[in-house]
Amino acid sequence: MRCRASWQYLNGTGRLWWWSLFLVILGFSFRISQVDVKSLIGGLYQSWALGREMLPPDFSRWKQVLTLAAETVAMGFWGTILGILISVPLGFLAARNTAKNYLIYQLAKTLVTLLRSIPDVIYAFFFVTAFGLGPQAGVAALTLATVGLLGKFYAEAVESIDEKPVEALAAAGSRGLSVIRHAIVPQVLPLFMGYNLYLLDHNIRVALALGVVGAGGLGVELFTQMRGFHYQKAAAILVIILVIITAIDRVSAYLRNRIIKGGFLHPGNRLPDAALLAAIGVLTLISIYFMPVDFKEMAAGAPRIWEFLKGMFPPDFSRISVYLKLMLETVGMGISGTFLAMALAIPLGVLAARNVSHNPVIYNLAKEITNFLRAIPDLVFALIFVVAVGLGPFAGVLALGLNTAGFLGKFYAEAIENVDPKPVEAVEATGARFLQRIGHAIFPQVLPLFNSYNLYILDRNIRYSTIMGLVGAGGIGFELVMTSRMFEYRQMAAMLLVILTTILLVDWLSAYLRKRVV
Amino acid sequence: MVRVTNLRKHFNGHKVLAGINFRVRKGEAVALIGPSGSGKTTLIRTINGFVIPDAGTIAVGGQEIKYRNPESLRQARKKIGMIYQLFNLVERTSVQVNVMAGALGRLDRGLSLLSSTLGFFTRQEREKARELLGFVGLEDKVRERVDRLSGGQKQRVAIARALMQEPELLLADEPIANLDPKASKKIMELLLRINQEKKITLITVLHHLDSVRDHFGRVIALKEGAICFDAATRTLNDHRVQDIYSIEEEFACVAAQAGSI
Ligand SMILES: Nc1ncnc2c1ncn2[C@@H]1O[C@H](COP(=O)(O)OP(=O)(O)OP(=O)(O)O)[C@@H](O)[C@H]1O
Ligand SMILES: [Mg+2]
Repeated sequence: MRCRASWQYLNGTGRLWWWSLFLVILGFSFRISQVDVKSLIGGLYQSWALGREMLPPDFSRWKQVLTLAAETVAMGFWGTILGILISVPLGFLAARNTAKNYLIYQLAKTLVTLLRSIPDVIYAFFFVTAFGLGPQAGVAALTLATVGLLGKFYAEAVESIDEKPVEALAAAGSRGLSVIRHAIVPQVLPLFMGYNLYLLDHNIRVALALGVVGAGGLGVELFTQMRGFHYQKAAAILVIILVIITAIDRVSAYLRNRIIKGGFLHPGNRLPDAALLAAIGVLTLISIYFMPVDFKEMAAGAPRIWEFLKGMFPPDFSRISVYLKLMLETVGMGISGTFLAMALAIPLGVLAARNVSHNPVIYNLAKEITNFLRAIPDLVFALIFVVAVGLGPFAGVLALGLNTAGFLGKFYAEAIENVDPKPVEAVEATGARFLQRIGHAIFPQVLPLFNSYNLYILDRNIRYSTIMGLVGAGGIGFELVMTSRMFEYRQMAAMLLVILTTILLVDWLSAYLRKRVV
Repeated sequence: MVRVTNLRKHFNGHKVLAGINFRVRKGEAVALIGPSGSGKTTLIRTINGFVIPDAGTIAVGGQEIKYRNPESLRQARKKIGMIYQLFNLVERTSVQVNVMAGALGRLDRGLSLLSSTLGFFTRQEREKARELLGFVGLEDKVRERVDRLSGGQKQRVAIARALMQEPELLLADEPIANLDPKASKKIMELLLRINQEKKITLITVLHHLDSVRDHFGRVIALKEGAICFDAATRTLNDHRVQDIYSIEEEFACVAAQAGSI
């Protein structure tokens, strides 16, 4: 029985209690991340002022910007390709039914889990420190992040196959790789291709932001222009980023639609395959032409990573109390950012839900705002807010809050669009006002979904709050940059361990909460 | 209490209500019958403003319903309770919270708007909800979740929610179509008791002619969007029932209507 935690069951006192607990957590996390009403209003004004300085966008450097944009896309492409190459063997090793050796299975699985829990930007930072500035750090970071995601997806796909063909082949005397090739690959190939496409989409978006920490691509240019006070030039780059992300959205929505309709990758269905091949072909040509990295050089750099890793040992925990304090601030930022996102997403989600938002102007406006917030990576927001409201955790809270308000707004709107309309009409028939209908007929229906989305975003924001400091937006990330500039790699290692431990702890906690509350 | 004049409605070229006229006096109990697709639900939904008629007017309690004015429509809905075939309750919440929804129309200003939206109600309103749940025979289910109730119990909750509005008019669209015979009988008795004890006007769409004969003094029958019978229930003999539910003999229908006026 999970209903004991159900909000609807609570009477007035019970609700009051929960509201108070909520407010206490809210107050506490706002305090440690230095958010208050005055700074919120001030921040609004300062962002407005910065926004005015950014207009109109200055496209005079469009040649360089477009070249960098192509390079960014190529980074995403090659990161995905390398990630796929590593994930294929790793995925089979991390799947229960194909891993022969239990120890290897557990190792592969743990490796994938670890790779997945660390934010991509941390990898980028690490490789920038090890390799130096430039796109090869970005490609390497994307590769690791891809392996974390794809390794899991592949393993799950392999574990969910139909075992009968496998047994038949085994009975006929085939073994090992031969069984995989003839009985498993045909079954999982369509799934694998779907995941690869998803990762390609994901990686191009991430690549746009990685440059902000120096890992190549358009982000580097954005960083340079923001820091050089060339706000109109920076605005032009933002516009390009938005255009690229919107284009990716459109193309992948089109392809997803094809997959759902079953036309995709099916023998005998030429047309969608042609569209897909064309899209991939263009992308490949761009990625080869604007080759961001020299793979030979990258391979030659591998020993340097080893040297670098050796230099990090043993980790130096002498300043652990400082790290813990900063980590607390970081977690506070993640929580505050999530609260901010929820506060923004509730009106956005309601107004962007077709079944309750009847005014077409308001509906489309809410939807476009949500899309916009979702499209701008949080690190890019952070870069902007650091300029607008100054260094410190407040900029990070705004960045996390705005970006994830876009995600939550979309999730909320979809949840609201799927409610049962019958009780909503019944409550409207009593003469209830709009807000009362939301509170009484819609909110109770969507609450479990909202809770699970909130938890997911909270988990994600705490993870990503660790990277906000890389651009000066508060938390432990800033200290990470400082120690790396002073070549204190052993201290850096200690900090990375603190970050990793916190992330794993939060992962575990949110999995636990998910089971209990949702 | 209810005055319907020249009501017309069509959906994409298909005529659903073809000039409806009738009046219902205060405190009356009327059964609305007719074959499937004859426009009963559409008629009921024009009375509480969920369907906007093409022509004609409806007045409830002397006030004409203004479909284009949301605030006036909301004021009209406050005094009209509605009972549905599928109960239309918020399944995941408690019985009490569902009944409280009936009070929302009253709590529509300032602080009480805010607190009722967030789910806080005054002791007085909560007492009233409990009292009404006692009246419909669910005093022991106040805190139960709605999705754990039987169909008959759910319909009682829906009735309590409607009563919470302190309505002048109660509309019911096939309130017993999803219930077993025993529960059906109890729900019909409850609706009629409300009509008699609380003097609330009642219009009910029904398919069970036995229930109609047992409980209602007056019957209005719709056929292809027109009223083809409107008279005391005792005059509803088998021959007329055949007219109402048969497809061909349209002239008989016209004759019956002429006879009833
Ligand atoms: N929103 C709508 N859009 C289009 N057509 C509609 C709509 N509502 C009702 N109709 C049509 O109007 C006609 C009358 O429908 P209505 O639901 O009023 O009939 P009814 O008498 O309640 O039937 P039943 O006994 O089956 O409930 C039907 O042909 C139906 O298809
Ligand atoms: Mg009907």
